[in-house]
Amino acid sequence: MADLVFIALAFLAISGAIAMIVNRNPMYSALGILITMLSVAGMFALLNATFLFLVQIIVYAGAIMTLILFILMFLNIKEEDLPKEPNKYKFMVLGAFIMIPLNFLVLKAVSKLPAKDLTISDTNFGDIKPIGLELYNNWFIAFELISILLLIALIGSVVLAKKRKSKLNNKGEQL
Amino acid sequence: MISLTSYAFVSMMLFSIGVIGVVSRRNIFVIYMSIELMLNGVNLFLVTFARYHFNMDPQVITIMVISIAAAEAAIFLSVIILLYRSRKSLDTDIFTTLTQGEKS
Repeated sequence: MADLVFIALAFLAISGAIAMIVNRNPMYSALGILITMLSVAGMFALLNATFLFLVQIIVYAGAIMTLILFILMFLNIKEEDLPKEPNKYKFMVLGAFIMIPLNFLVLKAVSKLPAKDLTISDTNFGDIKPIGLELYNNWFIAFELISILLLIALIGSVVLAKKRKSKLNNKGEQL
Repeated sequence: MISLTSYAFVSMMLFSIGVIGVVSRRNIFVIYMSIELMLNGVNLFLVTFARYHFNMDPQVITIMVISIAAAEAAIFLSVIILLYRSRKSLDTDIFTTLTQGEKS
């Protein structure tokens, strides 16, 4: 049963990713990567990481992808505003040839590791309480630094979105 | 039974497709989504090894990566809005103001 779920999730994840880089319209690309993120969330659930399953759906599929879709609709991009990509597939084949050696190396290294049972276990591994204990005991400084980073991102986006006093057009003249 | 190699295969495929997207596309939205895809592939690898070693540390690192991705999304998308307003294009090849070439 878990095997079938895994195969379906893997198929959906990879085909969503391929649809993301092949489609010309960014709206369809956003929908493709949404499918990928939901499938990755399902794989987190298969790997016993229940809290990360929730976080992946809420933060990635719920917040980040909604933000991207909102901005895509807000900008109201026309068909002729999209960049022309005449040799897109040529570069894709080139990139695939670049990535094949790394994939080969990593998969060969991983397949040499001793096999262990990766099915869902009944312990509380991956629940919110063990993660919280780990986070507040061993990773406390990183946690505080992350909060500072989020504050900086908040201030930065407000500053970037603020109205300037003088605007320049794309030739450098004042409007 | 699902082996470690099959999870590694899926996460490496996601990472490679992300790299291919960054290399081949010129639409800035698709490049941003490819970066997110690479982060997702690495997250999947981390969670797989957390289950493999029955250790909680990689899941905490995954939480850190997700929060950094959220901060990145806010900054990246506001910069995209500013660039689109000033240039009316999503092509990454015209954003060359900071390079040293004489092309404006």
